[in-house]
Amino acid sequence: MMAAASAPRDVTSYGIGLAAPLALFFLAFFVAPLVQLFILSLHNDAAGAIWGIGQYVHFLTDPFSLSVLGSTLLLGAEVTALCLVLGFPIAWLYHRVGSRTQTLIILIVLLPLLTSVVVRTFAWIVILGRQGIINSTLLSIGAIDTPIRLLYTQFGVVVALAQVQMPLMTLPLITVLGRIDMNLEDASCSLGAGSWRTFWKVVLPLSLPGVIAGCTLTYAAAITAFITQSLVGGGQMLFMPMYLYQQASTLQNWPFAGAISIIFLFAVLAVVTVFGMLGRLSRGYGEA
Amino acid sequence: MINRRTLLTTALTLGAMKAFPGLSYAQARPLVFATFTGSWEEAHKAVLVPAFRKANADASIVLDPMLSVDQIAKVNAARANPPIDVMLHDPGPALVAIGQDLVEPYPVEKSTYYKDLIAEAQEPMGPAPFFQVVGLTYNPDTVKTAPTSWADLWKPEFKGRVGITNLNSTLGTGWLVEVARMHGGSEANVDPGFKALEALKPNLAAVAANPGALATLFQQGQIDISPGNFNAIQILKARGVPVEFVAPKEGAIAFKTTIHVVKNSPNRDFAFKLIEAALSPEVQTTLMNSPYLIVPTNSKVSMGGEIARVLTKDTAELKKKFVFQDWKKINEQRSAWIERFNREIKI
Repeated sequence: MMAAASAPRDVTSYGIGLAAPLALFFLAFFVAPLVQLFILSLHNDAAGAIWGIGQYVHFLTDPFSLSVLGSTLLLGAEVTALCLVLGFPIAWLYHRVGSRTQTLIILIVLLPLLTSVVVRTFAWIVILGRQGIINSTLLSIGAIDTPIRLLYTQFGVVVALAQVQMPLMTLPLITVLGRIDMNLEDASCSLGAGSWRTFWKVVLPLSLPGVIAGCTLTYAAAITAFITQSLVGGGQMLFMPMYLYQQASTLQNWPFAGAISIIFLFAVLAVVTVFGMLGRLSRGYGEA
Repeated sequence: MINRRTLLTTALTLGAMKAFPGLSYAQARPLVFATFTGSWEEAHKAVLVPAFRKANADASIVLDPMLSVDQIAKVNAARANPPIDVMLHDPGPALVAIGQDLVEPYPVEKSTYYKDLIAEAQEPMGPAPFFQVVGLTYNPDTVKTAPTSWADLWKPEFKGRVGITNLNSTLGTGWLVEVARMHGGSEANVDPGFKALEALKPNLAAVAANPGALATLFQQGQIDISPGNFNAIQILKARGVPVEFVAPKEGAIAFKTTIHVVKNSPNRDFAFKLIEAALSPEVQTTLMNSPYLIVPTNSKVSMGGEIARVLTKDTAELKKKFVFQDWKKINEQRSAWIERFNREIKI
């Protein structure tokens, strides 16, 4: 998305017809079902016979539903923050090592994308369990007497999601850091700035477009990650995807499920819009 | 004359015929049988499907494993041309499917085996070819004295070692009703059950999202004792996981698993024949034996092996020993319970 900034100015010189197949595809398989979902959500009863906005009122006036939405949005923020803190050094390192190590880093970053989410999630269940690697290590060195609870906690979900979504953060960062002229850092240092100051004043602002892109992708992926959330979080930790599934499948309450998805969609769009605004601001900052 | 264009056309046509066999034969699509995932899928693929094909000149059949509730959602979305011909249901979803007019009455008068089923399994809207049984499961390596009652889950010695599932599953909901009954409640009143759950919190190590996830928790040593499904445990046992099943003295919970012909199915006849195969004593006997250990409902099948040892010697004892729940009552309030569970059970 951010790369569009460098596109040629006269976009209209390309026939708009080239975009038609994709537009039709989106209309048929994305917009139309979405409209149908919205219409479905405008029914007050589960059978879908009575029109009304009762489902939205129900959701927005119910503290429990709102807390599910809140905890889901918070979960996304935590995962995104962790990915950023862990992903930035890797992306930075990538441009400062030899080509052989670069290949290794790319491989490590991409490796999670090459295995299924289910497999990765089960690996985390093994790692975080009562007799998992972490607990057995801590027990054997005598740091703890009884296994600590890691699985089925918010901590567990955040860590597992961060690993699963890490490539979405690291790849945009690697791209954007590669575009920064390294001479700028040398110039900053030669003008007397320390390495931290150089980082805060030069590297970070210039890398903001990548940071924003990475954050948007990670955030959207983390809050909608049904499998990881339900397997690592367990049956008592409720996030929006599971809430939606429960209403749609177990309870067959499609209008409420529809309302939940529309509200969730708008909440995510709002967050993405905020990211986008930050992105525009950062571009101005970066070019200034 | 063969040129590039006709060659390409021919190749594409052949490819399309391969990809969409329906194009080349003017035949209805294969019979689609929605079974459950996991042990059920394995059992049906290995026993029921071959039996059906053998009796019906290799008629084409597809297994589509998914949860009952997902089957209902799929059929509901395309009632006029359902993507499934035969559905398999736990008692709760079965009532929903019947209530939403998604299934046809079973052609009882045509059936060879219907009258041989035990009375509880004779359901005119879809007979029950199998039972599922829910009791206590535990790890014999860490739980030295076998539990005998649901109440054992509350023992202080099991602090942080008990697993349950949430109410999305038949297992979780049925178990909660039994807990309520133990404390004076019933299908109509689960308040005592929720109070008991509150008291169980210190013991809870995990609330699994589904019964499958619960079973695997034994494998990882995450839990040592839980309410559990007899069949799910057998699979673990066969893989060498230390886990045992006991029927609690309050009575193990028995669920009828019913099988239905979907309304407007283009494959009505084959659907009927598949269900007949599922009701037949031959298929039920094979499924009863190791490694499947599925409880039969045909009274002509005599209970044997592990089932006779752990569960029941015959159908008379089965009816005496097992608890059958009133899922009509349960369904009336189930969504309210799920909501309450969502709110109250945080560990």
